[in-house]
Amino acid sequence: MAKSSTSMEKLKGFLSSQISDEEKWALNSKLLRAAGLFAASIVLMRNFGDLMAI
Amino acid sequence: MGSSVSHAAAPPPPPTAVGLAVALPPKQDEKAEPKNVDWLNLPCPVPFEEIQREALMSLKPELFEGLKFDFTKGLNQRFSLSHSIFMGSMEVPSQSSDTFKVPTAHYEFGANFLDPKLMLVGRVLTDGRLNARVKCDLTDNLTLKINAQLTNEPHFSQGMFNFDYKGTDYRTQFQIGNNAFYGANYIQSISPHLSLGTEIFWLGHQRKSGIGFAARYNTDKIVVTGQVASTGIVALSYVQKVSEKVSLASDFMYNHLTQDATSSFGYDYILRQCRLRGKLDSNGVVAAFLEERLNMGVNFILSAEVDHRKKDYKFGFGLTVGE
Repeated sequence: MAKSSTSMEKLKGFLSSQISDEEKWALNSKLLRAAGLFAASIVLMRNFGDLMAI
Repeated sequence: MGSSVSHAAAPPPPPTAVGLAVALPPKQDEKAEPKNVDWLNLPCPVPFEEIQREALMSLKPELFEGLKFDFTKGLNQRFSLSHSIFMGSMEVPSQSSDTFKVPTAHYEFGANFLDPKLMLVGRVLTDGRLNARVKCDLTDNLTLKINAQLTNEPHFSQGMFNFDYKGTDYRTQFQIGNNAFYGANYIQSISPHLSLGTEIFWLGHQRKSGIGFAARYNTDKIVVTGQVASTGIVALSYVQKVSEKVSLASDFMYNHLTQDATSSFGYDYILRQCRLRGKLDSNGVVAAFLEERLNMGVNFILSAEVDHRKKDYKFGFGLTVGE
């Protein structure tokens, strides 16, 4: 009988493979940093952009 | 003790319009009903290659390292000459993370002819390169553009022909380049604020082809664009026009082939005497670019780019004289 794994285990397995692997983590950290800066800058611009007006 | 309580008089009736005020339309509420969209008369979208132009204008100033001097002299209404000197370092793209800087110095002579229907621009450099651009309005809606870069080194010259057609609510472009490059793109207004576009290209010599899709949503205050290409590139941008003089912009680019993701956030202040642009990158690069108008036709330029991660510091200054 094939080993069946729950979706939670599959998710954990996927996440740990992405984090522990050196190459993948290099790309993932860049992606997280870039996406985080992009999203945070949009939130900042929309909420506090008027403070920078002259 | 007679307290005379005067009954509050009824509030006076609103003044009736007198004189010329009768001719004015009555004031509408601020939150009027949304205007009906005329779906058959949508505005013409921006050209496909300029879909991210607001973000590029704010986030990609021409940073340089060294000294730059530009002089433009108009000979008559249509014809002008330009002289340009550059002394500094140019970065050579390399595969490794180290940056290779090559000290360069060159003088560039240029001639411009500007007509309402025809534009000719030529530049010659002391290292033997020639740049030429032609833009010709063949009809009201059809434009021909030619770009050429010729060099002494064999196999490094490039040329490109572009045919642009502008419709009522769409634009289309067809490109033919050397090395058997063929490309086409099309952009269509879907609503007064949204336009969608697509592009396709074919590189003959390398037998490569690609397709891409783009979307642009703009209102008076914001511009949001997104681009996806089969070459593995995803590019998003967001520009907020805070006021007439101030813009804030942010962009995100992911390249699947080089496994690279970059995001930057910048500001653009356009004031009467100067233009200041600054940006911050997710790779730890901070840059600023200032153009200060010292006098009529004289601009002083300062450029700075600091890469904290690679410890690469680039500072440049220059002067631009003439229009």
